[in-house]
Amino acid sequence: MQVVIGQILNGIILGSLYGIIALGVTMTFGITGIVNFALGEFMMIGAYATWYFSDQAMLPFPVAVMLGVVLAAVAGLVADQVLFRFTRNNLVNGLLVSIGLISVMESGALLLFTTTPKSMDAVVAGSLSLGAITLPRMKVVVFLLLVAVIGLTWLGLSRAWLGRATRAYAQNPEAAMLMGVPTKLLQTGVVVYSCALAGFGGGLYASLFSLEPSLGGLFILKGVEAAILAGVGNLLGALAGGVILGVTESVGSLYLPSAFRDAYGLVFLVAILLFRPAGLFGSQR
Amino acid sequence: MKTLLLLIPFYVLPLLVQSDVVLTVLIFTFVLSILAIGFNIVFGGAGQLTMFHAAAFGIGGYVTFLSMLRFGISFWLGFGVAVLVVVVTSIVIGWICFKFRLKEFYFAVVTLAFAELCRLVALNWNSVTNGTLGMLVLEKPTVWLPGTGIVKIEQTVPWYFLTLVCLTGILIFSALLMRSWIGRNFSAIRLNEDLAQTLGIDTFRYKLLAFTISNVVAAFAGALFGFYTGYIDPAYLSVTQSLDAIAMVLLGGVSTILGPVVGALVLTSLPHLIELPAELRVAVYGTILILVILLMPRGIVGLVSGLLRGRFNAA
Repeated sequence: MQVVIGQILNGIILGSLYGIIALGVTMTFGITGIVNFALGEFMMIGAYATWYFSDQAMLPFPVAVMLGVVLAAVAGLVADQVLFRFTRNNLVNGLLVSIGLISVMESGALLLFTTTPKSMDAVVAGSLSLGAITLPRMKVVVFLLLVAVIGLTWLGLSRAWLGRATRAYAQNPEAAMLMGVPTKLLQTGVVVYSCALAGFGGGLYASLFSLEPSLGGLFILKGVEAAILAGVGNLLGALAGGVILGVTESVGSLYLPSAFRDAYGLVFLVAILLFRPAGLFGSQR
Repeated sequence: MKTLLLLIPFYVLPLLVQSDVVLTVLIFTFVLSILAIGFNIVFGGAGQLTMFHAAAFGIGGYVTFLSMLRFGISFWLGFGVAVLVVVVTSIVIGWICFKFRLKEFYFAVVTLAFAELCRLVALNWNSVTNGTLGMLVLEKPTVWLPGTGIVKIEQTVPWYFLTLVCLTGILIFSALLMRSWIGRNFSAIRLNEDLAQTLGIDTFRYKLLAFTISNVVAAFAGALFGFYTGYIDPAYLSVTQSLDAIAMVLLGGVSTILGPVVGALVLTSLPHLIELPAELRVAVYGTILILVILLMPRGIVGLVSGLLRGRFNAA
């Protein structure tokens, strides 16, 4: 029983990382009409930057994460202005361009950091123990930070003017434009913000796990799965979708062969798509 | 059909060029062209962005070799078994995807999911597939030739002609298919699926047909590839393999007959013309993919035929 609870907790924490990528996927899709498959690579930028600034340049961890976020956001801005600007509302082209971008960024990481896994010292040492279950403190901190960021994003988008403008745009782009919503700025802003979110997720990932250049490809798949699972366009659902996916994988690999760990989420996703095409939390038409 | 005459020079090339390197590059080009043609049938034909073709490629290689090994049958019969397996998997997966009207992005993600499942099976079914290590393929395909009887294909030159003949056959098949009423129905679905449905085209059935044909063609490429290189491993089914084929089709020209071949030729010979480390090779593929989509959406063949038409019109 303790093992199961432990795995569920691990799944929730890993799932919140999937969730922050899923949030970026959902936001970008709603506003620009494309799925940024390269989002995982921006996460990788954040992760390696955090590792570099914290482990090599010896800066304090929060500063390193902030630098990672800034770097990911700048990379996102460049990618948006050079590439994604030309593929707005063209799903297939956007998909293919971001897939091309994955190859370029992943080889860049291979050249810069090689395949040797990079890991850093624990930022917050020690662990919490609840009865017989022990949980590293850092994992709890990471989980709370991710939930806070996702919650704040949801609040911002549902309460502030920006959120109203964003939703208005998602409903009817032309009407929103006529009402004075700066649509170009909005689109670029969303792409950059989603890259910054991914960078933040990457920075936190670096504090828990060791880094390899291929981590982005893995996480974007999970992020997209989580976003579809929850229903594309649902911001808080993205977090829930990520957590469900993470728990499914962790608990699944406990009872079923763990070599097929990545498959459990996929099977679950296909089932959801077939029986609730709008996602778990999406409204059915 | 006339464009196929462009293949004739390749039939006389081995008389002029004896270099093994050139012929080897061309053999790889021919085999990967077949994979790219397979992808072009479903994407360039019926407009469905599949990510399953690498899985079909891998299944083609694995099943052909395994059935030869287990049942002691010839390459071609083994490939027949592979066709059977691929047709059944394609129908199951296609039925699921198309029955539930998965389109574009959703179709891509679900086919990718199924391709990953296949790769995980190849990776973890150690007793049959030998896991990550892959399998050495020592058998060779045999061909019956008039006059000489049954010949084993081992040397570079026979392989060159075998793959060239196969490519020609597949090209003729895809050209005929695209010109037939089946191909026209595919185009109708690609251009406007709702309209096609309104006009009485059974879109479900034709999408399923395009998906199945495309996967069988990809499986054929996989079988040839495995037996030529003499080595089959789970990387055959990887996403990278899918992306390579997509890049070839886009570079050459989507929805054109020769596009996949031109794309395969450029991308296969490029690493041999410029010395590149493996990491950079992937980056070059990615860059080409991005540049082609943004700057040259009709690919090389589209660009060239556009230029030729412009010249004729001016004259």
